[in-house]
Amino acid sequence: MSQIKKILVANRGEIAIRIMRTCRELDIETVAVYSEADRTSLHVRYAHEAHYIGKAPSTDSYLNIDKIIAVAKNCNADAIHPGYGFLSENAEFAKRCNEEGIIFIGPTPDVIVQMGDKIQAREAMIGANIPVVPGTEGVIETEQEVLAVIKEIGLPIMIKASAGGGGKGMRLVQEESEVVSAVRAARSEALSSFGDDSVYIEKYITSPHHIEFQILADQHGNVVHLFERECSVQRRHQKMIEETPSPLMTPELRNEMGKSAVEAARAVNYVGAGTIEFLVDNDLNYYFLEMNTRLQVEHPITERVTGIDLVKQQIRVAEGHKLDFKQEELFQKGHSIECRIYAEDPDNNFMPSAGKVYKISEPLGLGVRTDGYVYEGYEIPIHYDPMISKLIVWGKTRDEAIRRMRRALYEYKITGVKTSIKILERVMNNANFIAGNYDTHFIEKNQQQLMSSEQRNDMNDMVIIAAYIDYLDKIGRTDENTKEFTAAQSRWKKIPYINHF
Amino acid sequence: MAVEIKIGDRVAWVNLLSQDGNLLEIDVDGKIYKVDLMHTADGTFSILEGGYSHNIELVPQPEAKKYTAYTLYQSYDIEVIDAEARYLMNRGGNGFGSGENSISSPMPGKVVKILVNEGDQVKEGETVIIISAMKMESEYKAPKDGVVKKINVKNDDTIEGNQILIELDLTIE
Repeated sequence: MSQIKKILVANRGEIAIRIMRTCRELDIETVAVYSEADRTSLHVRYAHEAHYIGKAPSTDSYLNIDKIIAVAKNCNADAIHPGYGFLSENAEFAKRCNEEGIIFIGPTPDVIVQMGDKIQAREAMIGANIPVVPGTEGVIETEQEVLAVIKEIGLPIMIKASAGGGGKGMRLVQEESEVVSAVRAARSEALSSFGDDSVYIEKYITSPHHIEFQILADQHGNVVHLFERECSVQRRHQKMIEETPSPLMTPELRNEMGKSAVEAARAVNYVGAGTIEFLVDNDLNYYFLEMNTRLQVEHPITERVTGIDLVKQQIRVAEGHKLDFKQEELFQKGHSIECRIYAEDPDNNFMPSAGKVYKISEPLGLGVRTDGYVYEGYEIPIHYDPMISKLIVWGKTRDEAIRRMRRALYEYKITGVKTSIKILERVMNNANFIAGNYDTHFIEKNQQQLMSSEQRNDMNDMVIIAAYIDYLDKIGRTDENTKEFTAAQSRWKKIPYINHF
Repeated sequence: MAVEIKIGDRVAWVNLLSQDGNLLEIDVDGKIYKVDLMHTADGTFSILEGGYSHNIELVPQPEAKKYTAYTLYQSYDIEVIDAEARYLMNRGGNGFGSGENSISSPMPGKVVKILVNEGDQVKEGETVIIISAMKMESEYKAPKDGVVKKINVKNDDTIEGNQILIELDLTIE
């Protein structure tokens, strides 16, 4: 058993700060690493120590294993927390940490390799009797093989890259005539994205729900699950909104899927926090999709309903402690929803909108949490993920949580960059969402309501008045002869300027 | 001072009728509003109108007199079109009427730099004076070939709108 005294967080943005918050509570020193583009990023300011690791592109900095290991050794960090993304599912990095005597807060390199390869993961799950989506058991080589599989499981099917993720290297086949071109397209996309053109086939679930289970496992063979997260509100295979409990879930199904998730973790001797992703169809059949061997973006909703700090548990497990709770001691209390706030323009095909944050005021009040990292005057760099923050609310019931989310989104004001806040508000007002009636096609199916930007013309005149007064105010400053308007800046806040970096 | 304000596709005419502290009476396209308006220097506005509370944030754009305005539900692109803006818009190339023999600014402002001396030969389109108004510098050019006859201002002078700054003797062709 080793006590961790100093953790290097090999990440940036909100997740780096999220991890450091728990470290502060545990009196663990924190080390930030940063790229050239992130000198003024909040994780650098929040940490005890901060070290430069390279140029802005992540391959030179946040993916630079040698540099990060060197910093960790130089500053005597006992452990490295990889967050999510970047090196979090990089087996080579986990291996290097082990070799250098630094604790990698995550599973073993072998498990990362096994779960990172979709075909290997699928085989492991079939071995453990976890239901998987019907399809090929290994890589397919020829179109004839594909046609044979189609005879067996029927159309539609999905062709997927073995090394895939994030929606790349995936092709839907609805007609036999599409097979040849779909296989070719999936292969070439897989090769260019992952350097590996092996593909396999799965039956395509027509109205799928994306439901995942959080699991925690210690080094002593104890495994628990912390219930589900419903992640079906997605656009371009990226999650937008998550909630727990899932509106689709029944107590029986939860119990069954939870057991499968624990079995899945046991099957690979998993250690730490991980997530088992399932597809669930409308008849409540569930299929293993993949395992994420790291902390998830949406972990806070699980924390909110279970009361368990997942980062704290990750650290304790890494130190060698046993889990200090059993499955039967865990409950879901109330309902939690997370909305991801992206710097993007929902009215313009979700184009990323980098730039300087002019002003930001975050929602507060009962049952509201924000995990973010931007501040007034901060320039959102173009090099990384456009996520600004995660807004998490809790309510006693789902209805209360939705109302609270609406209120919190209403309070959330970010100017200077475009954000996804408006479309999130529309989701919270969408009848299908409110009824809990949605699958992964929610955004396409409800496009009309979600994309309509209702103009409120009554506000126009007040906006005109504001612009006019600001103009007169500026004129007043350059010309003392303009007596008709007295500038108002001394009447309210006596801060004539904001000091930006 | 009445100006036009472009908001999206709409151009509104707006004028301040009276002010009593933060209580303002403003005419927008013929509709009179009595508002209680408070704002900060960096563009946060609280407007109370008929008991309703409007919260607006103005973010200045790099171009002078242009803003993005944010309300609770919307964002708007806004441009203030005052005499100077209209003047610069209409001026085009050198945009002066023929026979014009003086240079003036339509806006109150400040002389940044005078680039010529009395007696200098100037060519049509040559910049003769730089004026700053609303933090924006504008170059004013000679309307025709000619000789600088008289300069009525000096560097850093504060100027009135429509004040004649430089007079020219035009070269008669």
